[in-house]
Amino acid sequence: MEHRDALILASNNRSGTRQAPPSLRVENLCLRYPNAPEALQDINLSIPAGQVTAVIGPSGCGKSTLLRCFNRMNDLIDGCEYDGSILLNDVDILNTATDVTVLRRRIGMVFQRPNPFPKSIYDNVAYGPRINGQGRRRVLDEIVENALRAAALWDEVKDRLHESAFKLSLGQQQRLVIARTIAVDPEVLLLDEPASSLDPISTLRIEELIYELKHLYTIIIVTHNMQQAARVSDMTAFMDMGRLIEFDTTDRIFTNPSRPETEDYITGRYG
Amino acid sequence: MLKHSSYKQHISAQFNAELESIKNDLLEMGGKVENQIEIAADALLGVDSGLAEEAIAIDKDINRMEVEIDEQCTRILARRQPAASDLRLILAIGKVTTDLERIGDEASKVARLAIQLAGEGGAEYTNIRVRRIASQINDMLRLALDAFARLSVEDAVKVILSDDDVDDDYEMAVIALKQQMRADVERLDIYLNWIWALRSLERIGDHAANIAEQVIYLARGVDIRHQEAEALRGLID
Amino acid sequence: MLPTDWRRLRSTAMIWLTAAAVTTSLAILVGLIALLVVVGASWFLPADAGFDRATLTFISDRWQLFLFASPLDGVGSAGVLPAIVGTAVLVILMTLMVTPFGVFTAIYLREYARDSWYTQLVRIAIHNLAGVPSIIYGVFGLGFFIYGIGGSLDSLFFAAQLPRPTWGTPGLMWAALTLALLTLPVVIVAAEEGLARIPRDLREASLALGATRTETIFKIVLPAASPSLMTGIILAVARAAGEVAPLMLVGVVKYAPALPVNLRAPFVHLEQKFMHLGFQVYDTAVHASADEGRIGLICATAMLLVLLVLLLNLAAVVLRQRLRDRYQAPVGGI
Repeated sequence: MEHRDALILASNNRSGTRQAPPSLRVENLCLRYPNAPEALQDINLSIPAGQVTAVIGPSGCGKSTLLRCFNRMNDLIDGCEYDGSILLNDVDILNTATDVTVLRRRIGMVFQRPNPFPKSIYDNVAYGPRINGQGRRRVLDEIVENALRAAALWDEVKDRLHESAFKLSLGQQQRLVIARTIAVDPEVLLLDEPASSLDPISTLRIEELIYELKHLYTIIIVTHNMQQAARVSDMTAFMDMGRLIEFDTTDRIFTNPSRPETEDYITGRYG
Repeated sequence: MLKHSSYKQHISAQFNAELESIKNDLLEMGGKVENQIEIAADALLGVDSGLAEEAIAIDKDINRMEVEIDEQCTRILARRQPAASDLRLILAIGKVTTDLERIGDEASKVARLAIQLAGEGGAEYTNIRVRRIASQINDMLRLALDAFARLSVEDAVKVILSDDDVDDDYEMAVIALKQQMRADVERLDIYLNWIWALRSLERIGDHAANIAEQVIYLARGVDIRHQEAEALRGLID
Repeated sequence: MLPTDWRRLRSTAMIWLTAAAVTTSLAILVGLIALLVVVGASWFLPADAGFDRATLTFISDRWQLFLFASPLDGVGSAGVLPAIVGTAVLVILMTLMVTPFGVFTAIYLREYARDSWYTQLVRIAIHNLAGVPSIIYGVFGLGFFIYGIGGSLDSLFFAAQLPRPTWGTPGLMWAALTLALLTLPVVIVAAEEGLARIPRDLREASLALGATRTETIFKIVLPAASPSLMTGIILAVARAAGEVAPLMLVGVVKYAPALPVNLRAPFVHLEQKFMHLGFQVYDTAVHASADEGRIGLICATAMLLVLLVLLLNLAAVVLRQRLRDRYQAPVGGI
């Protein structure tokens, strides 16, 4: 089965359960840590569905912090406090009543360094569905295969699904992690510098994958590599010191940005 | 929209040096072209073949510089992946070198026509308008290059608007020459040469206006090619 | 001498020094084992040993005596077979008790509790437990487990048999519990170490997929830390196998008429007293007749104990290796 066909199949499977792509809005978001009282200040942002939004900015500007707000991973840090809201289909996910385990299934995350579980390839991808109560072997087989195909990894691993995930190269491991995230059928994908620990060829593969995946998911990618943001994204947000400086189409940001801070950063005059 | 009003420093001193170098080369090429136009115009008005040869000789330099500067542009694009204003700078320089080179070609044509006229004995014909056109286009080019160096949108707009005057003068000059052609059919060839020369001068004016359009693109990120005059006035505010 | 020569000399000297340290340790170990084997073997051989039938009969007789003798046989000490069984059962029982206790404590300290003065206090207490002399554990076992809990159990459930105690007396279960307490600090520390080494991003990956904290711990962290847990168990077994003093108070006897594990229901008799190899050594040393045979018997018994512990450890090491292969410690194991 071709890669594209797998994507269409997955999208058909999805359309039964979910009609419209999700709307994702950030309103007046502020975030405080004990060590960083101004980690995020008054962020307002509307993430377009079915597109790739890149978040760029210098180190420490808060882009990863912002990303981790979407799936409440910042909760893991003691003393973290939010103000404002993030609305997923008009429901505030920062509310304390939100069930974060359900949220994290709808909004998946891929991290900077590939972090497969010390299990077999099959078990890695099946972990999410199993946690959600899916126990039937044939259904799991199908989920695993579709996820691996969508992540462009199936052909490389179909004969060794029960080998340890660590036998794969780093680039393959990262694609495995993407497959694992897709297997729970999220609506939004958060990518935190997904290619920064990979070699250039693997990086390009991941970028191709992102381009193909955006038809099915809303994707938000944090990257410190500006050329990658320019290649991969439709919209770009530039952040500095916890604030959102500019948010516009990628074409405009990279040919004619509106804010001098953005211009300075993009052309390398920053600092 | 962001007003790019000066060239600022990069963190990478090497990149800075490369951009400085390419800008300087462009201005140098512009200076040579200005020189060439002056000499060619003098050659035409004074029907002096000696000057004309000088003007033609400069063209070699100009062509060489066009190739060199374009190579530099390619190198910077490949190695630096410039973005935003830097990207527009490189793209603008690429187009400006083309316009400068064409100006050089037109100036050479003028010089060659001057030689022809000298051979045909067309010395006694002078036309005030030719002198004026020659002087105008020279000013236009100088102002356009200044505008590039200083990223001055006002000057660029002035240049673009001046082109209308040049076009008017050209038309009037052609009408006058046609009259003279009808009156003095024997010397048709001479008058024709004058018309070709005038056309070259008028084209130089157009190219100078193109350069000014690139300056506006560079400074404001707006592509005003093929647009009406009203759009221009909006820019000055 | 040039500085370079000096440095090279020092390097070479270091290599020799460290090699010597290793050789000495090895020599001591080998020497000890050799002593045990040689002297122990001497007990099995007749004075005039040779490659003949008489020697063979003598050896087989001695083996019979060694394994199955009762104190009445005039050897001065009982046979070791019940002691082998008793020691093995004790150690296994102890492991079954200490593992969940220790692991769950470590999980709580490391995964659920926030670091605070309270958890620090608990850790200090645990580390101090490790320094308590083992006989104290024996006393504690006697007073708390045997008289306290055992006594209550007896008055609640076995009142009919009183004043003959069922549980209110030293026995296998109390001994195993006491040893479990003894080795608890070791297991907790090793387990905590193991859990701490699991990198944060593995947990985050699981949580980001929508797993709860508990699911993450039991499906991802614990399996990945299992080689370290095995190390803890190995250390516990090693520690416990050598303890004799506390056991004398809580369940070990010189001679037990029945094995604690036999074919009679309920097959494992936790309230019985049992025999122990370490105690056999002590008992032989003190009570055996003062002839040349005694030292041989002691060494033979000790050798047996060493072998038993070695076997248990080997099993645990093999298991740990299989766990490592399975979870391929990218973590770097203990």
